[in-house]
Amino acid sequence: MSAAPQSTAALAGKFLIAGLAGLAVTALGYFATGNQQGVALSYLVGVAYWTTVCIGMLLLILIHHITDAGWSTVIRRQYEHGISAFLWLGVLFIPLILSAWMNPGLVWPWMDLGHVLHGTHTVGEDPLYLKKAGFLSRNMFTGMTVAFFAIWIWLSARLRKASFAQDGDGDAKWTFMNRKTAAFGIPLTALALSFAAIYWMKSLEYHWFSTMYGVWFFANCVRAGLAFAVFITCWLYARGDYKGIFNTGHFHALVALAFAFVVFWAYVTFSQYFLIWNANVPEETFWYNIRETGDWWYIGMLLLFGHFFVPFLSWLVYRNKAERKPAAIISAWIAIIILVDLCYNVLPALKDTHGEPLPFLSINLLWVLSSVVGVGGICVWSYLKSFPTAKLIPIRDPRIVESLTHHPATASEPGAVPAAH
Amino acid sequence: MGRPTIKEAAMKKTYGLIAAFDTVPALYHACEKVRDAGYSQWDTFTPFPVHGLDAAMGMRRSKVPRFSLAGGITGFFTGMGFIAWLGWVEYPLVVGGKPMFSPMFAFPVAYELTILFTAFATIGGMFLLNQLPMHYHPVLKAPQFVRAMDDRFYIVIEANDPKFNPAQTRALLEQAGGKDLAELDE
Repeated sequence: MSAAPQSTAALAGKFLIAGLAGLAVTALGYFATGNQQGVALSYLVGVAYWTTVCIGMLLLILIHHITDAGWSTVIRRQYEHGISAFLWLGVLFIPLILSAWMNPGLVWPWMDLGHVLHGTHTVGEDPLYLKKAGFLSRNMFTGMTVAFFAIWIWLSARLRKASFAQDGDGDAKWTFMNRKTAAFGIPLTALALSFAAIYWMKSLEYHWFSTMYGVWFFANCVRAGLAFAVFITCWLYARGDYKGIFNTGHFHALVALAFAFVVFWAYVTFSQYFLIWNANVPEETFWYNIRETGDWWYIGMLLLFGHFFVPFLSWLVYRNKAERKPAAIISAWIAIIILVDLCYNVLPALKDTHGEPLPFLSINLLWVLSSVVGVGGICVWSYLKSFPTAKLIPIRDPRIVESLTHHPATASEPGAVPAAH
Repeated sequence: MGRPTIKEAAMKKTYGLIAAFDTVPALYHACEKVRDAGYSQWDTFTPFPVHGLDAAMGMRRSKVPRFSLAGGITGFFTGMGFIAWLGWVEYPLVVGGKPMFSPMFAFPVAYELTILFTAFATIGGMFLLNQLPMHYHPVLKAPQFVRAMDDRFYIVIEANDPKFNPAQTRALLEQAGGKDLAELDE
C-alpha cells in the first residue's frame, strides 16, 4: 500500500459517541415525551435503515463470490468490514422485541388482540387476522427475527473469516469456501430479508398484502449498500489509502451497478403500484389511499421523482458515473431518499384520533433522525473498529491481480479523474 | 494490369502515410507522439485490441450515447402518445372505470418502446458513425498490411488531415520509430 495507514481509532470513538448520544436522545423521547408509539416506530425506521445498508453489503459480497467476479475484489474488503455491524443491529433490535412482549400493540397493532379496528371490532375478532394468526404471532415474530439476525451474523462471520484468513496463507480453499457460502447464502439472505420486510414493516397494516414487498426491500438494500460503497471508496481515495489501487474503471463499474439498481427499484416499485391501481381491489388500495392524504401525497411524489427520475437522469451522463464528486452527491441523495422511502412505508401506521395518518412533517422526524444517528453511529463505529484488523484489500485473493489491473471501460473525458495506475 | 494509363495516373491521389511498428509499446508511444503533434485524421491497425490505446490516441468518448438518448426519448413519447391517441381519439372505451388515458397504464408500453427505440438508435448510430460495412479501404492495397492481422501494428495518417505534410509527417513517423513507411493511394 502506497500511503502509510492512518489510524481510524479517533474517528471510531467520535462515531461511538454520536451513536450513544443519538440512542440516548431516542430513549429520552420514549420515556419522557409520552409519545411512545411515535418514538418506537421512528426507532424501527432507524434500525431498518441501517439493516438495509448492511444487507446490501452482504448481498454484494455474496454476488461477488457466486459470479467469481474480478473487478470488485479491491472493494469487497470494505463490505466485509461493514457487515461486522449485523451483531450490533441484532443487539439494537432487542428493545423492539421487548416492546412486543411488554407493551404488545405499541408498534405492531396485531400483537394486541384487544386493539380496536375502525371503532367496531377488535383484532381478536377480525377474520382477516384470525386467518393469518399462525403467521402473525408474537412467538413467530420473535423466533423469525432471531433467525434473520442469526443467518446474517453467521454468513458474515463465515465470509469475514475466510477472507481475512486468506490474507495470511493465500490458500485458494478460502475462495472455494466463500463460493459455497454464497451459493446457500443468497437464498437464505433473500428469504430472511423478505420475511424481515413483511414482519417488521408490511405487518404494520396487516390487512394489506403485496407480493412485490420483499423485492422492493431487496432493491433498497442493494441501493443502500452501493451508496455507502461509493462513500467509503471516495473516503479511502481522499485519505490516500486507495491511491494506485482504485481507478476510474472500478469507480465507473461500481456506480454503473448503482445506476442499474435505480432502474430495478423503479421497476419493482412501479409494478407494485401499477398492479394495485389496475386491479382496484379495496383490500389493497387502502394502503395507497392512506398515503395520498395530507403531506404523504407529496412524499409519494418525492419518491417517484427523487428516488427514480433524479438519479436516473443524472446518471445517464457518463461524467456523473466516472467522477467521484458528482457520483458521491447523487449517492448521498439516494441514501437520504431511502430513509424517506422507509418512513413512507412505516410512519403512516401512526394514526390520529380520527384514524387518519399523522403527517410526515411532525415531531416524529426528530426521533427518526435521532434513531438514524444512534444506530448509524454504532454501525459506522463497528466498521471503523473492524477496518484496521485486516489489510486494505484482500492481498492474496486469486483475483486480486485481475482487479488491480482492471481497465477503465473507455477513455476518460478530458477533465475526468485520471486512471490511477 | 500493365502500366497505368495517363488518365489513371492523373486520378491517383494520396490517401495517407502508413508506418509499421513491431511491438505494442512502440505503437503506444508513437500514438502519443502523433496525438501530441495535433493530428486528427488518423487511425491505428492492430491484430488484437490494445487496452488504453484509445487514450494514447487522444480519442474522445463515443458519440453513440447521443443517438441512444434520442431514440429513448422518441420511444417513450411514441408509447405514451400512441396510447393517449387510442384512448382519447381513435377508440375511447371505459375499461374497469379507469380514465380514457392515464400514464399509469401507458407506462409499460412506453418503457418497452423506450428500450426498443434505444436499442435501434444505438445500433443504427453505431453503424452510422463507424461507417461499417466498409468493403474497401486504401490500406488493403499496401502489400505489407497483411501482417496487421498477424503480428504487426500500423499507424496511418490521412492526407486530408489539416496538419498533413508529406515531409513533416514522414519525419514524425520515422522519429516515432515507424518502419517500412509507405504512401497509400486512394
